[in-house]
Amino acid sequence: MNNKKINKVLGNVIFYLGNIVVGLIFVSPLLWMLASSFKPELEIFSNLNSLSTFVPAHFTLQNYVEVFQRLKVFTILKNTLVYIGIVLFGDLLLGSMFGYALAKLKYRFRGISLTLVIALMSMPVEAIILPMYIEMAQIGWVNTMLGLTIPFMMNCFSIYMFYSYFISIPDELIEAAKVDGCGPIRTYFSIVMPISKTVFATVFILDFVSRWNDFMWPFLITTGEEKRTVQLAVQIFVGVSPIHYGVIMAVLTLASIPMIIMYIFMQKFYVEGIASTGIKG
Amino acid sequence: MEAKLSKKSKREYGDNLAGFIMSSPALILLIAFLIIPIIYTVYYSFFTYQVVRPDNIKFNALNNYAKLFKDANFYVALKNTIYFTVIVVPVQCILALVLALMVSSKKKGVAVFRTLYYSPQITSMVIIAVLWTILYNSNANTGLINAFLKSIGLQPIDFLNNPKTAMNSIIFMSAWQGAGYQMMIFIAGLNAIPTEQYEAASVDGADWFAKLIYVTLPGLINTIKYVLMITLIQAMKLFTQPYIMTKGGPRNATKTLVFYIYEQGFQKGNFGYACSIATVFFIIVVTLSIVVKRISKTN
Amino acid sequence: MKKVLTTLGVLALGGMLAACGNNAGATKQADASSEGSSQAAESKSADGVTNVTIWSPTDTAAIEAWWVEKIDQWNKENPDIQVKREAIDRADAYAYENKITTATTSGNLPDILYVDGPMVSYYAANGITVPLDSYFPADDLKDFMPSTVQADTYDGKLYAIAPTESSVALFYNKDYLDKAGIPYPSDTDIKQAWTWSQFLDNAKKLTTSDYVGTNIIMDKGEGIIYALGSFFTEAGAQFVSDDGSKADGYVNSDASVKAAEYLNEFIKNGYANLDPVKDEFLNGKAATLLGGSWNIADLEKSNLNWGVSYFPVADDGKAVSPTGDWAAAITKDSKNPDAAGKFLQWAMNSDNIASYASAVAKPASRTSSYDKMEGWDSGARALMKWQLQNTGVSRPRTPSYSVLSTDFSTAMLNIFSGSDAKEELDNVAKNFDENYEMYYKK
Repeated sequence: MNNKKINKVLGNVIFYLGNIVVGLIFVSPLLWMLASSFKPELEIFSNLNSLSTFVPAHFTLQNYVEVFQRLKVFTILKNTLVYIGIVLFGDLLLGSMFGYALAKLKYRFRGISLTLVIALMSMPVEAIILPMYIEMAQIGWVNTMLGLTIPFMMNCFSIYMFYSYFISIPDELIEAAKVDGCGPIRTYFSIVMPISKTVFATVFILDFVSRWNDFMWPFLITTGEEKRTVQLAVQIFVGVSPIHYGVIMAVLTLASIPMIIMYIFMQKFYVEGIASTGIKG
Repeated sequence: MEAKLSKKSKREYGDNLAGFIMSSPALILLIAFLIIPIIYTVYYSFFTYQVVRPDNIKFNALNNYAKLFKDANFYVALKNTIYFTVIVVPVQCILALVLALMVSSKKKGVAVFRTLYYSPQITSMVIIAVLWTILYNSNANTGLINAFLKSIGLQPIDFLNNPKTAMNSIIFMSAWQGAGYQMMIFIAGLNAIPTEQYEAASVDGADWFAKLIYVTLPGLINTIKYVLMITLIQAMKLFTQPYIMTKGGPRNATKTLVFYIYEQGFQKGNFGYACSIATVFFIIVVTLSIVVKRISKTN
Repeated sequence: MKKVLTTLGVLALGGMLAACGNNAGATKQADASSEGSSQAAESKSADGVTNVTIWSPTDTAAIEAWWVEKIDQWNKENPDIQVKREAIDRADAYAYENKITTATTSGNLPDILYVDGPMVSYYAANGITVPLDSYFPADDLKDFMPSTVQADTYDGKLYAIAPTESSVALFYNKDYLDKAGIPYPSDTDIKQAWTWSQFLDNAKKLTTSDYVGTNIIMDKGEGIIYALGSFFTEAGAQFVSDDGSKADGYVNSDASVKAAEYLNEFIKNGYANLDPVKDEFLNGKAATLLGGSWNIADLEKSNLNWGVSYFPVADDGKAVSPTGDWAAAITKDSKNPDAAGKFLQWAMNSDNIASYASAVAKPASRTSSYDKMEGWDSGARALMKWQLQNTGVSRPRTPSYSVLSTDFSTAMLNIFSGSDAKEELDNVAKNFDENYEMYYKK
């Protein structure tokens, strides 16, 4: 009995101590970024060889002030959120419908559609970005909201996640709905969708983060300050001489914080969501 | 008997129609904005096309491909892509599994640790790459990692400028950045293993390690397959890291296929040629992803 | 076998041709169909107002403010020609070029495009930009620095016009030189500038465990050929033939190899970092810096005890310094080149160049502008101006410049990380000649 208790305490000590040590090492690059963003420029590289490099000695908000002076932060945030909003709407609604059809409906071309989704999942956008642009130009969508958002609405990875989730829904549930006279589409919207919050949350987070981090496409397809998104704004501080690392760290921190906050709030759904898609018996 | 049959065919008809309705918006978008650009890519791969001269493109049949198969840089890029994939997939997955084992319990505060391990994943690769270029700086006076190495008495390492270490440095950073995601999937997989199995093993006198080998890993087999598949697919696409950190160098050590496509198409303007590399790349990844999918299904 | 493959290829192609429609007409099609989206297509609205769009890289806050002010002023004074400028966010010059390249594929270029000096030939040779001679007659051009006119001219015609110039000089940390007992190099007499041997020798003396002797790497892209190219010229090398058509025998000549090996001494021996942080000198982590005119303003704001001297000269006294800056060009997609030209004439007049150059603390390209600018008679600024007028040499002018620049920087970085200089430069020559042969051979 006593032995068991000691074991439990020991287990706790190892768990917390181990995780604190490993966790701090793990995020140390990000902590350094955060700390450096509050340092005057000349302090950043001045004491790298001691742990004090993780604590600003002369705390300053000057770097942030510079970022806010330079950028219309509110406009940038709005642009990015509108962009993400449109893309996510398509991804969550149309992508989930497709995923459901692939998982539960026995229709023609289902097999080939699934193969297509898996094959396209491995397609890097950088390799076809120029032809994509040429196509946009032919439709006349260059430098428009449509051109920015529509081509990225469908994400094969999201479709695949929805597919993996829906396939684990028991067939009996769907059969029962059918007996009640529900058609497949109504079954999806009124029975399946409401019980699938977790997978939607998961795809939401994953897609939100990757769209937030988009750089190449917004750079090529849009032009001008009024359409600037977050990652484009980051480029300014990396690219315009003279380069000051304090300001770079501040803008990198600012660009990361919203994602971390969102993740903290949605974490609960997220883990469950992944649980329901990643493993299939 | 008859009633049953007609009911079945009715259902199939309903499924067929509903299937078309539910999949067509997504399919149309995929065809319009992924398949068509891919078709363009394949099409242009048969032309001599200087990127800023769309008015002057010349059909050259298979010349681009003939050149491609003799191009040493193409094989270097192919080799680098394979090397990155072969190393980063196990490294990242093992790291993710270790982290998952560390935070799979339901102890208080576990969410905080999960957030710590996941946080690099939600920071953009563009940001991470800019940050690590500074961290990896070869001089101990300006690079955090080398400052650390120096303070414990080691020689500084020229991480990104030495052809021997550049790709490994990118691998290390990528595994660190990406592991959080796979960790989450592993946590989910670990939670799904019935506790009775562990209890039974305890009764048999199994220690911590034996449980890992005989209970945990077998229970995770499907999760592992899934994680390997998605990590592999991601790894083949490596681009952002060399684009920002090394420009494909030093001495081509980090030139990947996608980077080479970019370099030829944009930087050097050989758009037709870039399209032929892209086409070969498509064939490789599509074959690979279908094979991987088959394997993970049959086992 | 070959036959079968060819047949298959042709068959596949037939299908694709049908699928893609008429691609050769992509440009035309885009022009016709993309009203409201294409930059140039908006150029004329119903009420007779001509719209002119400008693209240039996002710049410092002071320059951004200059643009807003000047465009406001122009638009008020010229209700019939309304100008709009779009700032392009980019991490480096290469990214900006990618943006232009992309727009070129589909006729989506703006009316006025800012391009980096050496790219002028590339865009001109490919018909992306149009000549500006009618807007800047020979008389007017006399007021510009010779290096500016030289860089912006291709095939005998003026294809771009730069408001500012740039130069690179040797900045040094006085405290560190004192510590090493090295006398300050002169900033008034080029005969007392550091020579190659002195530069190398002093860099060695100045290297300590806390800081390196010098910083010669501006960035890993265009900065390599821009800043280090002058060493090659000083060694007596030339990147390409005079007509810009051949690199073999030039970029890989013995003199080039000598310059490359000399530069590698700094990196190989650890007198300079291959991957310096961008403000290494400002941070006191490097004792000297091959820095640009744009570094001056930043250094003036700091507490660093610094001085400046000439770009190092060859041991035989030959002195060369880098030049060139971003220049404005008018594109083929412009519907109203004359309106764009009018605006450029105004934006590039002596007063506007003076205020632009002052805002960015870069040397003006017009000689007459200096009368209206303060601080260019002495110190670092005067030295930059002197170098421009006396030792400035522009980067090679050739339509294959982007290949030269990319491959040259790759080659230098490879040499710095241990490759054989001759082999690497041979490779640059080979790739360049191949590119020229394929696209520009007449």
